Amino acid sequence: MAQRLSRRLIAQYVARELTDSEDAKKLLQEVAGYLVESRRTSEIDLLVRDIEYELAERGHIRAEVTTAYPLGDALRQSTIDLIKQQTAATAVSLDETVDEAVLGGMRISLPGRELDQTVRTQLLRLETTFKA
Amino acid sequence: MSDLSITELSNDLRAAVEKLERRDGLEEVGVVVRVGDGVAWIHGLRKAGYSEMLEIESPHGSVDAFALNLLEDEIGAVLLGSDKNVIAGATVRRKGTVLEVPVGPELLGRVIDPLGRPLDGGEPIKTKQTGIVEREAIGVMGRKSVHEPLMTGIVAIDAMFPIGRGQRELIIGDRQTGKTALAIDTMINQARQKTGVVNVYVAIGQKLSKVARLVERLKQEGVMDQTIIVATSPSDPASLLYLAPYAATTMGEYFRDNSQHALMIYDDLTKHAVAYRQMSLLLRRPPGREAYPGDVFYLHSRLLERSAKLSDELGGGSLTALPIIETQAGDISAYIPTNVISITDGQIFLETDLFYQGIRPAISAGLSVSRVGGAAQTKAVKSVSGNLKLGLSQFRELASFAQFGSDLDESTKSLIDRGQRLTELLKQPQYQPLSIWQQVASISAVSTGAFDEVPPSRVKDAQAALLSKLTSDHADEMKQLDSGDKPDEKTTALIEKTARATAKGFKEAL
Repeated sequence: MAQRLSRRLIAQYVARELTDSEDAKKLLQEVAGYLVESRRTSEIDLLVRDIEYELAERGHIRAEVTTAYPLGDALRQSTIDLIKQQTAATAVSLDETVDEAVLGGMRISLPGRELDQTVRTQLLRLETTFKA
Repeated sequence: MSDLSITELSNDLRAAVEKLERRDGLEEVGVVVRVGDGVAWIHGLRKAGYSEMLEIESPHGSVDAFALNLLEDEIGAVLLGSDKNVIAGATVRRKGTVLEVPVGPELLGRVIDPLGRPLDGGEPIKTKQTGIVEREAIGVMGRKSVHEPLMTGIVAIDAMFPIGRGQRELIIGDRQTGKTALAIDTMINQARQKTGVVNVYVAIGQKLSKVARLVERLKQEGVMDQTIIVATSPSDPASLLYLAPYAATTMGEYFRDNSQHALMIYDDLTKHAVAYRQMSLLLRRPPGREAYPGDVFYLHSRLLERSAKLSDELGGGSLTALPIIETQAGDISAYIPTNVISITDGQIFLETDLFYQGIRPAISAGLSVSRVGGAAQTKAVKSVSGNLKLGLSQFRELASFAQFGSDLDESTKSLIDRGQRLTELLKQPQYQPLSIWQQVASISAVSTGAFDEVPPSRVKDAQAALLSKLTSDHADEMKQLDSGDKPDEKTTALIEKTARATAKGFKEAL
């Protein structure tokens, strides 16, 4: 039976291999095999998050940007610059989502970190403050 | 709405907006993976510290939690509010602080929850300061030995098991034996004797009807002005019950650290341990004896260690603790009772049998002890209560033997006679604490033999008559005696003479 490893250790291994070697397909097959054998397939989503986190630590960031209106080129570039400046990342890719429910402003979600300046969140925080 | 409240509202809104605007840059976030029974399991937040406050987003504002289990892959956090609105996938943020509560004189007279939110329907609590809930106890050099008395007004305690300011004295006994009553009388006595001691009463998982009755009584007695009540009910989350004594101690420490004296009443630590057990089991910590976690001793030791008498350099303030523990069928060797007995500086054990015999307060003379209070006993009470505890213990032992036969020698008979009168004398109705001179005069009347001729059934009447006579005829001498100094021979003789004169009117049984 496979030894039980923490998700953090698995994620660190995967991130290291992904950045150092070329053969991602083989690596993912190994990890999938391990998850099946150790009956931990239910942890796939969490493991992916951990891998994203570890990759971010190594300078590879996938950021999810949510806005009420589509991003223009200038704003997209300044968002990438901001992320690079705040995280010292070398490679940044953006997943853009338009969601009217945020009302205005922008939410940048990085692995393990977030910058939420949406109007909706500000209003929620105000609601909490005044409930207390 | 008045202009004033609009101005306040405007200021509050501006402050809240300003606070929000300060949130710039990337914040560390995690996500709720599972939630249930007041515990949320969070993925991420790798830099979160132990006991750090977290903020979980929900569709109706955010819910606070604090991190208690820091594991390699996830964090176990205990929610401070309802888990109804917390859903899996919700974003969690670190607050970067540990839990703080409001402290200060503004809390006096208020009934609040462990987070400092009002429960009495009054104005929102606005204090100038806040204090950290999990504060470390003061060190060795900051302390002084217990030497000032904290009068409870209960003769049996002040005479036999005196409590000093800064002491931790446990009140232990079965349910319905008068544990809370002792604590309430002590609070009332602080107001009656104008000692200036601030009372902090912590209701841990107590029925709110009981708390309401207590508040009403304290208001009637004029004690609420110098009292803070921190209340949690059985319907509150276990996390609030767990936090209640720590938060209340922080509030009491404010007075201790400002050269004042405070009295903490923890009612009761059995329920506190049970709440902590619930949290620990839900956090999947390994259960130990009676399913309590391994650190249940530390749970109470770190709490009670915060009660102290401060050195003169630190202002000489004090924090006295009266923790309450409920036993099952008088078993003081159970896990939590033995733990707290070993932590505290003595215990007052209340016996069910005594209670139902009508001996109230039902204090067991044999099993109760005060380890440090002797040095703090007022000289006046000390001068008359020398052999009281021994005499009472011997009497209770002999009395059980005497039931088997009537052939007793003279000395045994006199010991039993004196013991019977002493037992009657130490009975004391609730809400009627006695001042120092009243205690001295009462004990003297029995210990000098002045009441030897009074039938036991009339001892309380004789005591009342004696106190009334002394109040009306010798007010100055009694006022002097109330200062706590050892009574001079003249005063002692005066009390004995008045007691003998009073006893003459009570020689016959009714």
